[in-house]
Amino acid sequence: MDALDLSQNKHADVTMEEKQRLFDEAKSDDRWEHVLYGCYECGICVAACPSARFYDFSPRVIAQAVAREDVDLVYTLMNDSIWDCSQCFSCDRCPRQNSPGQIITILREVAVKNGLTTAKKALEGYGRIIYKIMSTGTQVSPDMLQPDAFPDWGTHVGEISDHLEEWRKALPPETLHTTETSWTIDKKTIIELYLIWHMTGVMDLIKGVDEGLFDILVDVMEERLEEAGYEDVTFD
Amino acid sequence: MAHENIKGCIVLKELYYNVEHNTWVKVIDDNTVVIGMTDIAQNLAGPILHAKTKAVGTMRRLGKPIATVESGKYVGPVKSPVAGEITKTNENLANDAQLINRSPYKDGWVVEMKSDNLAEEMKVLVTGDEAVAAYKEKIENDNIEACKHLEGSDTYD
Repeated sequence: MDALDLSQNKHADVTMEEKQRLFDEAKSDDRWEHVLYGCYECGICVAACPSARFYDFSPRVIAQAVAREDVDLVYTLMNDSIWDCSQCFSCDRCPRQNSPGQIITILREVAVKNGLTTAKKALEGYGRIIYKIMSTGTQVSPDMLQPDAFPDWGTHVGEISDHLEEWRKALPPETLHTTETSWTIDKKTIIELYLIWHMTGVMDLIKGVDEGLFDILVDVMEERLEEAGYEDVTFD
Repeated sequence: MAHENIKGCIVLKELYYNVEHNTWVKVIDDNTVVIGMTDIAQNLAGPILHAKTKAVGTMRRLGKPIATVESGKYVGPVKSPVAGEITKTNENLANDAQLINRSPYKDGWVVEMKSDNLAEEMKVLVTGDEAVAAYKEKIENDNIEACKHLEGSDTYD
């Protein structure tokens, strides 16, 4: 019989230099000194944390690991625990003014910017939501209600998806007679949105995490920008 | 039709495959091919809601999207296994995207493309027993779950 594997080997190990580089990148963030002051283990953040009730997750562990600058543990947390946080910031009641939630925000950004495999995995399910919000400006579309995607909506979710078009047409505002987007999107709004993505460099971030998603977004955006007279705006 | 069933996933031996991108290629003539998603790809996507192909006349580089596929919680490109021009698209997908789920290798084809350099580009694709071996390895390495098929799917066994 194989030995019991308690290593939770979910991610590839990297050199200490690489772990230190990732930690330093997080530490150099302008927000860092405003969200981390030190921890005396009172446990108030854990008591307030909804994720701690349901997962093997502790905001206190996060605050202590970064305060001790335990780069090895921080790397492990970046590949695991930080994705269990619901970013509700209930932990902001810390008497030392720490914000484990905001520390996690910074660590997540570093994980995404550096294309960590576990960041890609954690965000995989959000691909369609990112595609929706970036290509249409509306985050959730009614046709996301599918038995295989949202079984937690209950057994009637199948019926909803089967009759979605008719039910949406029953809604009084015509702008809600949509299934692929939350509501009808004005063309001018879409173009402004695409120009914002272009100017802020957000597409470079997407490219680092999911090149396939980047490619299909570019296809949609460049086509519509060209139609609107912005031939010079490209994302490649 | 010669095929292999790997954990319920069908691989047709007569087709050519880009295993990494999960696409198949069927050669029509010296510079024309039909392209589609594999059974494994339809299984990973789940029941497909929208399949939007690029327009006829679009030039595509290798690996660039020829279509966008959306399901309940997934969106992704169908990446072109060859470089060239899209000459025909499967118009039936606009009304019934789940043709890809039910008939990935026949009625659910995605686009037809013309390539000037087809012979060269086909060299990197795999076919026959080589394709079967490559998919066995991929299914094992990527820990892909057994393929699920919607009601009315093509049968091979």
